[in-house]
Amino acid sequence: MSDREKKKAPLQYSLFDGLFQGRQGVLLGLFTLFLIFLAIFPFLSFASGFWLNTLTLILLLAAMAIGWNFIGGYTGYAAFGNVAFFGFGAYGTGLSMTKLGLSFFPSLLIGALAAMLFAIVMGLPILRLKGHYFAIATVAIATAMGEIADSWTSFTGGAAGITLPFFDPIEWSGQFFYYMSLLLAVGGLLLTWFILNRKMGYSWIAIREDEDAANMMGINTTWAKVMAFALSALMAGLAGGIYAYWKTFVLAEEVFKIEYTLQMILAAVLGGTGTIFGPFIGAFIYYILITLLVFFLPVGQLHATILGTIIILVMVFTPKGLMDFISGRKKISINSLLENIRTYRV
Amino acid sequence: MEREILLETHEATKHFGGLAAVEKVNMKIYRGEILGLIGPNGAGKTTFVNIITGMLPITSGKVIFKGTDITGWPAYRIGRLGIARTFQIVKPFRGMTVRENVAVGAMFGHKGQTRSPREALEHVDEIIEFVGMSDLRDKHADQLTLPYLKRLELAKALAMDPELLFLDEVMAGLNTKEIEAAMELVRKINARGITILVIEHVMKAIVGVTERVFVLNFGQELAQGKPEEVLNNPAVIKAYLGEKFVQRFFRQQQAA
Repeated sequence: MSDREKKKAPLQYSLFDGLFQGRQGVLLGLFTLFLIFLAIFPFLSFASGFWLNTLTLILLLAAMAIGWNFIGGYTGYAAFGNVAFFGFGAYGTGLSMTKLGLSFFPSLLIGALAAMLFAIVMGLPILRLKGHYFAIATVAIATAMGEIADSWTSFTGGAAGITLPFFDPIEWSGQFFYYMSLLLAVGGLLLTWFILNRKMGYSWIAIREDEDAANMMGINTTWAKVMAFALSALMAGLAGGIYAYWKTFVLAEEVFKIEYTLQMILAAVLGGTGTIFGPFIGAFIYYILITLLVFFLPVGQLHATILGTIIILVMVFTPKGLMDFISGRKKISINSLLENIRTYRV
Repeated sequence: MEREILLETHEATKHFGGLAAVEKVNMKIYRGEILGLIGPNGAGKTTFVNIITGMLPITSGKVIFKGTDITGWPAYRIGRLGIARTFQIVKPFRGMTVRENVAVGAMFGHKGQTRSPREALEHVDEIIEFVGMSDLRDKHADQLTLPYLKRLELAKALAMDPELLFLDEVMAGLNTKEIEAAMELVRKINARGITILVIEHVMKAIVGVTERVFVLNFGQELAQGKPEEVLNNPAVIKAYLGEKFVQRFFRQQQAA
């Protein structure tokens, strides 16, 4: 009896790749420092409006990428329509503030819940689809929602959009939206960690690896998938609501842009899908990349081509994202890159 | 003394379009036994298991488990009720370690409601030891070789605390020595009080571990009975090897 007790190895969670493996201590320390830096950033002397603005955008993207990671990264469903939830959050918040005359926070809640509800209603039928079919369905739904928001003039204001009241006091507006975004992104990280500690986290990964086996082992896969979709909608919906109030304007072609979905996915893929910190870090990497490219290649659309090339290279050589290297699970070397190609060959 | 029936099917039928993969099969599985399910390739063995376990919708017929009609139940509810299975083509959760793979069974299976993820992870040490994979406990599933992947399938199913276990060709692709070990493992699982249905092409294993054999051919029952009797049944030999071989086989037997 006591023999067996002794033999028990300490519990090791591989689910927390990049957090509890490799150089966890150093990494967590560095990350905490980075978060502290972000927390005090608005009070630093060089924090101009431009930097605050850029970081708010990055943090909103990080929040959405973290949300996308639930369905795309952990559950393994290629959701290409998450911008629909962003739009739902933006419109829900905007309409609640203008039509119902509510203040920001209840409106944000309404917008996010509307996005979640929409994800549940849509998820039940379309999460039965797999692979490309699911991806196409999500794109179609997002596009349709954008068209509806654009055409339903009596409700959404159509092409005239919705104008929201300004944040009051206006001189603190930049800081307010910065902290809202930071809170959302960090909240998303905590939510990821919380879920991975629960049965839900195991369900998601089991579904990603083999849905039939997951089902046979007693996992209610429908429920788990719908939850993943709804929680990713929650993150995007909250981001959409914050964005709407920040810009004080909601317009269909602005908040239902397919580019936002692509940005979420790119951020998650660059950082590492199915990891806690990957999408967060990926959002920063994405913005740095795109800024550098636009800066050095201001002519035409060349920067998009280069970005596309970089993405293909990342997908081929490090399909699990940069977290693989950051967490020390793999060392950067020609061999490990080649090994990745062999392992993930389709 | 009448033995307790654990699972029975009434005219279980599965059609794929016009093809009758399983046709009106009546099978009884008694508590505590090891039942063999054999038949030539394409006889519908795996399909039969798929319709019992809810992996495929049944066309017609009934499945009764412990007196409960489970026909048409989703697979996860059947799994939680106490039926576990392994897959012929192994289905490990590659992104997880061996321990996490097995823990998923303990977390969601028959007694899963009572366990937290942490309790499940601690609980499965015994099962991993039972299938002889203690050394590989913290390895990722994608680092295992086929014999160990087959064992992992077993461990995952066992962790669900099933009353009935379907083993779908767990020995295919193993060498003689590995088959011996797998047979021993099947006997040990049965000794834990788990009723087992083995689908197997390795006849040595069928004769070695089962008490009773059920033969499917073209989706229908061809024969059932003691392994030695069934394997010498001309109809069974014909189904496997053809008419000519049956004649030669019996000429040789008479000559000898």
